[in-house]
Amino acid sequence: MRGSFLWRNRVLLASGALLILSLHLISTGVHPGDLAARPQSAFLEVISPVTGAFTHLSDGASSITRDYLELVHVRDENAHLRAELARVKSDQARLAELEVENQHLGELLELKNALGTNAVAANVIGSDANGISRTLVLASGTDNGLRPGMAVLANQGVVGKIIAVSPKASRVLLVNDHNSALDGFDQRSRARGIVAGQVDDGVMLKYADRSQDIRSGDTIVTSGLDGIFPRGLLVGTIQSVHREGPGLFLGVKITPAVDFRELEQVLILTQPPPVLEDQAKD
Amino acid sequence: MRLFLLFAVFVVLGLAFESAGARIFSFRSLIPNLIIIFAVDLGLRHHGVVPAILAFTMGYATDAIAGSHPGLNAFMTTMVFLVSYEISTRLMVANAGVGATVVFFGVIATALGTVAIANGFGALSSTGPMLPGLALQAFITAIIAPFIFSILAVTKRLTGLPAGATRDGHGRERRVEL
Repeated sequence: MRGSFLWRNRVLLASGALLILSLHLISTGVHPGDLAARPQSAFLEVISPVTGAFTHLSDGASSITRDYLELVHVRDENAHLRAELARVKSDQARLAELEVENQHLGELLELKNALGTNAVAANVIGSDANGISRTLVLASGTDNGLRPGMAVLANQGVVGKIIAVSPKASRVLLVNDHNSALDGFDQRSRARGIVAGQVDDGVMLKYADRSQDIRSGDTIVTSGLDGIFPRGLLVGTIQSVHREGPGLFLGVKITPAVDFRELEQVLILTQPPPVLEDQAKD
Repeated sequence: MRLFLLFAVFVVLGLAFESAGARIFSFRSLIPNLIIIFAVDLGLRHHGVVPAILAFTMGYATDAIAGSHPGLNAFMTTMVFLVSYEISTRLMVANAGVGATVVFFGVIATALGTVAIANGFGALSSTGPMLPGLALQAFITAIIAPFIFSILAVTKRLTGLPAGATRDGHGRERRVEL
């Protein structure tokens, strides 16, 4: 057995089989409810609390470092004053943090009321682990009513959509990811196109006809025709329009309205937007 | 089983660190790709079917928290394991320097391979702007790789697993320096 062809090449054969399995998963995709989705959900469920713990730990460490550096300059003060100062600073930082969080949640609540649909807020606890794709990890999952395909918003505009969920965590594909696409239009000229992320971190308005009057500074909003995002949500502003070169379509670069690195809380629409007849005709 | 459990702990901690780190540091390139280091360690020092399955599982776990196509990271991590295995069976010595070199090229190849498989090989022409950051991430990952190899070796010894010597497909023992 040990000298046989199969035994000598067992690593190569096993790796080859696993590579074929990987390609099968890539080509067919993993859908919610599939057998292959269960380990993914379990991995996300196991990793998300540890990620949350790391985030809290690093927040605490940076807070301690900041406090220490400040205290170096007040070394002459007595121990009571230093302790008091640290306590006050800690309280101040905590209150400031609560104030910011309160402000964010207030803005999300206003957005939720303005949209008039069911929505839940969630904290952002992590980003894409390998950095090639642009995704976020949220500290809410199926226990909070989240499902794949739901729209994710911030008070500044569209963030992305949910692509994977576990009971207590979920992942969001950002609009600037190179696999992301949504239906949008220029609010001034009404020119439609597909808002798609690029590999180099940019966002483009694809398939905009050359005859369309699209200009830098125009606002791009969602059309509502994709059945995920309600109509009229801010996506971004046009950064540049390239009319040179061959091709049927314009090269339109968009600056997203949302700064994805600064996101702390987001709003998830748990109810799909109503598709109106006049939207489809537009 | 011990190897599986050991790497499961390291992978959970590694992925949590990478995900949380990516959120904390605005410059993503400063966060090393720990999963590639683990895959290279497996490929260089553990020759068998179980390590191959372990490499695939590590990639599939990465798919749960990174990327948009399930299976992509599993494919790339298995590929890195396979290349590391092939290198270790052809070189007399697979020391930390060899490991760090494989890690450097593994990080770059994984990123470009991910883009190529997800978007087609034509998308590689758009990867120019991401290359400096990617090279920096690969360099940082390669720099810390020997340290991670040492930690893995110590924990393997503590759990009674073989940390150094491996056997090739013909049963000959290869010398592995840590």
